[in-house]
Amino acid sequence: MKKINRKDFLKVGAGAAAGGVAGYVLSGAPFMAFQAIVEWTQDQYVPVGGIESYMQAVSDTCTSGCKVSVRKIGARSIKIESAEGVCTSCLNSLQLVYHPERIATPLKLTGKKGSGKYKAVSWDEALKDIATRMNALISGGEANSIAAINKNETLSGQMMEKFIRSAGSNNVYYESSLKSAESAVLGGYLKYDFAGTDYILSFGSRLLEGWGDPVQMKKYFLNWKAKGTKLVQADTVCTRTASLADEWVPVKPGTEAILAYGIAYHLITAKKQSSSGADFTKWSQMIINKYPLPKVAALTGIKEEQIIKIAEDFNKAKRPVAVAGKGGTGAIASSAEIIAVHCLNTLVKTNAVSVVKNSAVSYKSDFSGIDSLAKNGNFKMLILNDSNPVYKSVLGDDLKKKMEKSFVVSINTIKNDSSEYADYILPALTFLETGTPGNKPVNGAWKEAIDPKDIIIKLSKMINKTAGAFPASAIDAHRGAGSEIAAGAGFSFYFDKTKSEIEGFEKKVSKNSEFPLTMIPIEMALVGDGDGMAFPYVLKNIDWHTFSAGKLWVQMNRETAKKEGISEGETITIASARGKLGKVKVHLSDVVAPDTVAIPLGFGHESYTEYGNDKGVNPKKIMTAEVDPVTGTADFWSTRVKIS
Amino acid sequence: MTEARVSKMKRLWGMAIDLDKCTGCGACSLACNQENNMPIFQDDSDYPKRVAFLDLMKITNDRDAKFPDVKTAFLPKMCQQCGGQDPKHPGQLNPPCVSVCPAVATDVGDDGIVSQIWSRCIGCRYCQAACPYEARVFNWWKPRYEGSFKNALNPEVSIASRGTIVKCTFCSHIWKRERDKAVAAGKLNINDVLHTPACVKSCPTGAIVFGDLNDPESEVSKLTKSDRAVRLTNYIDTLPKEKQAEFRKKKSYADPKVYYLTSQKWLKDMLFFKKNS
Repeated sequence: MKKINRKDFLKVGAGAAAGGVAGYVLSGAPFMAFQAIVEWTQDQYVPVGGIESYMQAVSDTCTSGCKVSVRKIGARSIKIESAEGVCTSCLNSLQLVYHPERIATPLKLTGKKGSGKYKAVSWDEALKDIATRMNALISGGEANSIAAINKNETLSGQMMEKFIRSAGSNNVYYESSLKSAESAVLGGYLKYDFAGTDYILSFGSRLLEGWGDPVQMKKYFLNWKAKGTKLVQADTVCTRTASLADEWVPVKPGTEAILAYGIAYHLITAKKQSSSGADFTKWSQMIINKYPLPKVAALTGIKEEQIIKIAEDFNKAKRPVAVAGKGGTGAIASSAEIIAVHCLNTLVKTNAVSVVKNSAVSYKSDFSGIDSLAKNGNFKMLILNDSNPVYKSVLGDDLKKKMEKSFVVSINTIKNDSSEYADYILPALTFLETGTPGNKPVNGAWKEAIDPKDIIIKLSKMINKTAGAFPASAIDAHRGAGSEIAAGAGFSFYFDKTKSEIEGFEKKVSKNSEFPLTMIPIEMALVGDGDGMAFPYVLKNIDWHTFSAGKLWVQMNRETAKKEGISEGETITIASARGKLGKVKVHLSDVVAPDTVAIPLGFGHESYTEYGNDKGVNPKKIMTAEVDPVTGTADFWSTRVKIS
Repeated sequence: MTEARVSKMKRLWGMAIDLDKCTGCGACSLACNQENNMPIFQDDSDYPKRVAFLDLMKITNDRDAKFPDVKTAFLPKMCQQCGGQDPKHPGQLNPPCVSVCPAVATDVGDDGIVSQIWSRCIGCRYCQAACPYEARVFNWWKPRYEGSFKNALNPEVSIASRGTIVKCTFCSHIWKRERDKAVAAGKLNINDVLHTPACVKSCPTGAIVFGDLNDPESEVSKLTKSDRAVRLTNYIDTLPKEKQAEFRKKKSYADPKVYYLTSQKWLKDMLFFKKNS
């Protein structure tokens, strides 16, 4: 071996030092340091100042019709305030107004559906193309193959209904399914006198977590506390509503309707109450034979005495209400369950529940609901009015396939899972930019977007058959808004149609060796059934046992987890007869009933802006999708699953 | 000898949050984020990295209780605006986070508000370590406001730099706004200026009440004297009165100015990390 002399030693030393310097420079570290210095020494973005002012607006896009006061600095709106309470989507509406992914111009699909390849086109070009196709369908005698899905029953939804119907089609659907489900069953939806009631029996309706009109519900809630109204909440999960209730009835998953049968059983047999609904004799006979109290107690996990006590209290109350529709924002119930719960109202002949309808909304279409449209529909043209059925329907994938084969127009403010399958995406303004007869628009128009009501009006003028359907402008259209009227329909038990479901309940909830657990949805107030996920301030609110570090968490009872060999924080996959969900983490918590997996709704969007994408899994993909014969929607609430 | 400073400010701002009325709707958190220019990242659901002043905590007693004896509640947690008590300086405001700051970036006002000047912060995070309530947040990344989101920024709250601590100030900038309006209207008495923080204004059930603790007639003062009132983990509150005086001579306490009201025993226990049933 050669001896290292002093010169060699210095050479090696110098080489190492040079290499070190080169490595340091090439690693990019000095540049990062420069960047840090730049950021450190230069101040952050400074918001532009201006004169402060307040402007008022009334939301015509949310079902609560929120009245908001907007704080403005110059031309910018910076804060939503409200003296009368405001729903969370209106409170957060500035994140929609100023969303960086807002659609600026009409977009035309240039690639394959779902590819996300769009090019900007002019309004004239887009509307002309749509109108030509619509006119061709109408003159070809295929008007009924034009369908529309509305997000809700607000003015633009009502106008869309009028537009589609005057074009000669019968196919208008609404996304929120509880009202439409009730309408299919009862000829109108249920209006509960929450202000005047003294006893509320809720079958899984998370009344304080987004159910119904959330703004009004909060006011009623304060009123209940002051007046001593009793709230009895049946639910499988100890939600906030269950905790705030005077009594929580911790039913086994998916047995809310069976509990209603048990209460009906007691009212019919012991209290000799009867309902005036058609087919009551047949229905009550079946309940008496099929669901006697001991069996109901075994199936629901609620003691007979407690069921009798609830039935007695309900019977004794002056103005009781029994509320159907499990869940919060995405409330759902099957026809058999709506009937079972509403039957209790008719049994005690309460005057706190009435059946009403909106004069401009019929809920009558070729298919009774959105899921049966997805399954059996054969539309050639579909207009989506701010709705997202691909995400929200349990049969969204079926609908997606149908949308790939038909001509789809989507009216949106930001793109969503459904508009990915549209041929045209038309940019819509938000309620802060459109104004109402009493209020000027708070904000100026956004790029080329126009009022969704004006889009419908413009389109209607280009269709020969609908040219006279609307006044000249959206502001005038406010005068034609529907109002709530008595439905005046008779109550029927639809015994022939729901018989099999009543019989089937028992099998659905009894032991199943292949799928031993039951999956139940839970919701976060701000996320709802998914609409909130595009907004960063909503994401900021998500607790870490719902979603954190890119993983969705489900909750399981400790005993059940022990039986299944699952420990806290473990990653699992959930599978039902319909398929498998991606990986989720498990949080062990006894707020969930045994043998139950509680999974948050609203996550797992395929396309819902940078903020909503890649966040968890969408449980609706594997939830029960048996379409109800009366309501046309699937009661996805409880799904038999296994975990691995 | 320097003369003792006499403050004209006679108000002491405090908050009372009725957890029995809280439904967990999240409006307070949304309003706070909007008012205080919370940064926007691609994944703000990432809890440990999140920058937010108000944390709407979901609380259950499932650690000790079994189904179905469980309960769920929500607790909006923001800076508790500690009065702080130091045995060496009785009667003075002495929040735990203020004395540790080497840069005088955080201070406590005569109105009891623990303030923070973002641009003065050197990012040592001593105050974050000293905070008993994890109410202070650190900007690990440069606060971002993607594109048009910038339009919704409030000019009254400055945008923080990377590497600084930020915190809830009971929306003291709204107080300043009200003060300026009062001065413009010719009203010069500082104690006439009242304000409502964003979270308080947004609460749909009126669960959050804000006001002057020095005024025995104010709603918030009355609420703090309720049997239901409890301060987060402030152990000394659970001791009998004579013991309290004795302990205060020896030890420091946070003495927060946010009171939580609850009729639920399990929740009260939980707020002191006690085992409950």
